[in-house]
Amino acid sequence: MAEEKKFPYAEEVKFPPAMAGWEEMYPPHRLFSKDRDDWEKRHFWYQDKIHDPEALYPLDDIFNEAWQISLSQYTTRVFCIPPAQGVQQRMLGCYMYISAVEPPPPEVIGEKAEVFGKRLPYVLQNYDMLWQKWLEKFQTLGRDMQNVKVPEELPKYVPDEDIFPVTKGYTPAYEVMAAFNTLVNQIFLGWQYHFEYLNLAYLAYLMFVDTAKKLFPGIKDGAVMKMVAGVDAAMFRPDEELCRLSRLAVAQRPVGDILKKNISADEKMKELQGTQEGRAWLEELEKIKDPWFFVSCASGWFHYEGSWVNKPDVPFSYMQSYVERLEKGEKIERSLKAIEKEREGLVEEYKKLIMAEDDRKSFEDAYNAVRTIYQFTENHIFWVENWFHTIWFDKVRKFGNLLVKYNVLKKTDDIFLFNRFEVPMLLEDMVTAWALGVGAPTRSKYWMEKAEKREKILAAAREWAPVPGLGVPPEEVSEPFTVMLWGITSDKVEEWLKGADLSANEIKGFASSSGVVEGPARVIKLSQNIVELKPGEILVCPSTNPSWAPVFTKIKAAVTDIGGLTCHASIVSREYGLPSVTGTGVATSIIKTGDILRVDGGNGIVTIVKRACG
Amino acid sequence: MAEKWSYWLKDVCQDHNDIIGKKCANLGELTRAGFNVPPGYALSVDAYSRFMKETDASKLVLKYLEDFKADPNDLAETLKYEKAAQDIREIVEGIKMPPDMEETVKSYYGELCKIAGCENIYVATRSAGPASHPGQYETYLNVSGADDVVANVVRVWSSTFNARSIIARARLNLPLHYDPIGVAVLTMVDAKAAGVMFTINPVNGDVLKVAIEGSFGFGEAVVSGNVTPDRYLVDKVSLEIEEKIISDKGSEFVYNPETREMEYAELPLEQRKAQCLEDREVIELTRIAKRVEAHFGCPQDTEWSISRSLPFPDNIFLVQARPESVWGKKKRGSVLGKKTGLELLLEKAVTPTKVNNVGI
Repeated sequence: MAEEKKFPYAEEVKFPPAMAGWEEMYPPHRLFSKDRDDWEKRHFWYQDKIHDPEALYPLDDIFNEAWQISLSQYTTRVFCIPPAQGVQQRMLGCYMYISAVEPPPPEVIGEKAEVFGKRLPYVLQNYDMLWQKWLEKFQTLGRDMQNVKVPEELPKYVPDEDIFPVTKGYTPAYEVMAAFNTLVNQIFLGWQYHFEYLNLAYLAYLMFVDTAKKLFPGIKDGAVMKMVAGVDAAMFRPDEELCRLSRLAVAQRPVGDILKKNISADEKMKELQGTQEGRAWLEELEKIKDPWFFVSCASGWFHYEGSWVNKPDVPFSYMQSYVERLEKGEKIERSLKAIEKEREGLVEEYKKLIMAEDDRKSFEDAYNAVRTIYQFTENHIFWVENWFHTIWFDKVRKFGNLLVKYNVLKKTDDIFLFNRFEVPMLLEDMVTAWALGVGAPTRSKYWMEKAEKREKILAAAREWAPVPGLGVPPEEVSEPFTVMLWGITSDKVEEWLKGADLSANEIKGFASSSGVVEGPARVIKLSQNIVELKPGEILVCPSTNPSWAPVFTKIKAAVTDIGGLTCHASIVSREYGLPSVTGTGVATSIIKTGDILRVDGGNGIVTIVKRACG
Repeated sequence: MAEKWSYWLKDVCQDHNDIIGKKCANLGELTRAGFNVPPGYALSVDAYSRFMKETDASKLVLKYLEDFKADPNDLAETLKYEKAAQDIREIVEGIKMPPDMEETVKSYYGELCKIAGCENIYVATRSAGPASHPGQYETYLNVSGADDVVANVVRVWSSTFNARSIIARARLNLPLHYDPIGVAVLTMVDAKAAGVMFTINPVNGDVLKVAIEGSFGFGEAVVSGNVTPDRYLVDKVSLEIEEKIISDKGSEFVYNPETREMEYAELPLEQRKAQCLEDREVIELTRIAKRVEAHFGCPQDTEWSISRSLPFPDNIFLVQARPESVWGKKKRGSVLGKKTGLELLLEKAVTPTKVNNVGI
C-alpha cells in the first residue's frame, strides 16, 4: 500500500510542557474526544487562521460557539442547501480547527431540495424588504445590549428606593447573574442574525462563478469577483466620517493644527476643549461616535484589539495623516460612484463578448440574482463584528471591573481567561459571598491562580506553532465555504504537507485584486503596528482588518498569509483598485520589511525583486 | 485607359475585395476605420491582367507551358514544377510594364515619398489574392526607388508562377498561365519589433484573450516561423498580461543596406532573451485587437509592426487583418441555454460539492 500523506491526528499532536492543562479552558464538547474518534478521524481538519489566527482566550471563543451553530443551521435546517452540511469546530492547543461535515444521505438531499426550492425564491424576490427588516432588528438588538444594566457595585445595604414605596423584590446579586446571561443570549442571537442570508449569498456567488466560467473558460476568479463585489457602505462609513472630520479640522485652523501635533489623542482632545472651534469639532465627533467609532481596530473578534471609541489614538493618527494630506492639496476620499461605474463597465464588456443571445440573457439574470443577495456578505460586517462586538466587550469589562473590585480577579481583562460557562461561576461566587454577609470568603485564590496559569498557557501557545491540518487530507477540497472564506484549496494543503520553502523568492496566493506594482514591503504582524506604514509601501500581514480602510489610501498593494477572494483584504483592495495577493500562507515568514516586491494581483504572484540589506 | 486599376488604400474598403485582392481591401478598410496603417496604394487584379495581356507575357508563358507535363499529386514530380517556375518567372520578370502603367506606379510612389517627406522611401510590395492563399505568393520588403518599385511589382505578379502556386492550380485544374492578383505597395515600418496577433486565444478559442507573438526586426521572422517569438496572452477586459513567455529569439530579420537584401542577423547575446515589446505596447496592441474585432464583428488574425523611430503609441502599426480561420468560423451555440437566475441557483444548489470526507 502506498504510504498515505497525512497530517497527525489530534491525539498525536505534542504540546510543549508549558501548555499543560490547556484543555480545561474550553468546554468539553469543543475538544477532540475518544468517544467521537471515528467521526473525527473521518474528517480533515484545518486550523481556522481567518477567525482565530492566535491562541484563543476562552471568553473570546463565544463567537465561534455561536457561529458553529448559526452557519451550520442555515445550511442544514433553514434554507436547506441540499448537498451541503455544516462546518464543525474543535479546539486543540488553544487554536481552533474546523472541518466541513460530510454530505447527508441521498434521501435527505432530496428532502432538502424541496424545502430549498420553496424558500430561496422568496428571499430573492423580497431581499430589499428583508434587508431593511434585518437592519432594524439588529440595531434594536444592539441597543438592547447597550441598555443591559450591569451593577457598578454590590452596596453594603440595598438603597431605600429598592424598598419604598414597593419592594423591588430582587437585588444586585440577581442583576449581576441575570445581566451576564442576558448578554450571552444576545451574542448568540446576534450571531443567529449574522448568517441569516450569508449562505445563500455565497451560494449565489458560486453559481455566478460557474456561469461565468462556462461562458469564459479562461476567466479568473478575481475577475468574476470584481463584477460581483459591491461597496460595503456601512463598513466604509467610519472612514468617510474621518475624512469629513479631517476636512472640518482643516477649515478651522486651530483644530487642524492640534490634530497634526505629535501628542496622544487624549492630549489633543484636552487642547481642543480649550478652543471654541475645538469644542465645536469635538461635538461633531460626539454626534457620530455611536455607531461609527464602534469599529474595531482589527478584526472585532478579540477583546484585546480595542475599537476606535476606546483606542482614540488609532482614529486620531489616521486623521493626522488626512489633515497633512489635505494641506498638501491631496484628495482623501474615494468615489463610491466611480467604483460602481467601473464595475458596471466591466460587466458590459463581458456581456459584449457573449455570442449567443440566450447566453447573454442567462448571464444577465444570473448577475442580477447574485447582485441582489451578495450585498449581505458585505453589509453585515460593520453591524455584527464591529458595532455589536464593541458593545459586548464594553459590557463584559463592567463585570471584569466588579470582579476586581470584590477581589475575585486581579485585572479587569482577566475575565476573558474564563469561558462563558465559567464566568457565571465567578459571578455567582462573588454575589454569594456578598449575600452571605460580612466576612464570608470567595474562592479568590483559586480563580486568581487559574487566571495566572491560563495566561502562561496562552503565552506558551503563542510561541508554539500549531499544525495547519489534522488527519488525512482529501483528494480535493471544494466545499464552497472552505475555499471561498478560508482560502483552503488542494494546492494549499499540498503546500502545507511539503512544508514551506522559506528561501523562496516567489510566493503564490490568490489572485484577489488585479494589477501589477513594485515597491518596498512593510511587514505588519501585530495590528497595533499598523501606524508604522508609510505611503507607497506594500502591506504584508497575516490578514487585514476592516478598520484599516484608511491604510488602503496609503499603500500600493496588499499581501496576506490568509484569506480567499472574499476576505477583507481582497474586498478593500478591489474597491481601492490596488493589486492584492491573499492566502499565501507564508508571506509574513518569507518577506522582510524593506524587501522590494513585485505584486502581480492578476496572477496571484509575489516576487521578491531585491532583498533588503542586512 | 478608362478602367481604374490603381487605388489609394484610404479610398478602398472590403467591398473592393474582388477588385484589388483581400489584403489590399482589408488594409483599406482598416485605414478608413481609423487604424494606424502605413500609407500605401493598391494595384488591382486588372492591372495584372493588363500586364499579362498587353505585353508578351501571357503568350510566352502559354508557349512555355505547351511542352510542360507533370503530375501535381506526385511528390517526385515537384522538381519539374520548380524548374518550370524558375523558367517562367525569368520570362515574366524580363518583360517591361506598359509605359503608362509604369508611369502610374511611379507617380503613386512619388506621392508616398511626399507623404513621408523624404526621397526614395522604403516600401513593401505585397501580393493580394482575391481569395486567401496565405503564404502562396511572394512579398518583397524594403524596396526603394521608383525603378525598383516597378521591378518588384512585376516580381510579385511573377510569384503567381512560383512552384507552389502552379502546383496548387494544377491540383484544382485551374489554368496554369494566369492567376490575377492585386498588389499592395505599402510604406515600410522601420520595425524594431513585429509579429502577429489573434483576437482570441488560438489554442482553445477563449474569446476573453488576445494572443500576441512578436520578435525583433521585421514580422516575416515570426510569420515564417524562423524564430521562436515572445508570446503574450492578455485579458481583453482587465487588459492584464496573463502570460508572458520570453524566448531565445536567436536572430532578427533585418535589411542590410549594403547588400540591399533582407537577411537574418544574429542578435547580440544580451538581446536574444530580452523582451521584444514593452508592456505598454502589449496592452496597446490588445486595445487595437479589441477594436479590430469589434469592427469586423468576428475574431481576427492580424499582423503588426512597431516603428523604432516614432513615439509611443503612434509607433504601432497594423499591417494585416483577416478573419481567424479556426475558431472564427465555428458557429457558437448557446452554452447555458435560456435560464433565469433562480433556475441557475437551484441547479447550483443541488449539485453536490465534493467535501473533505476521506473515508476509512
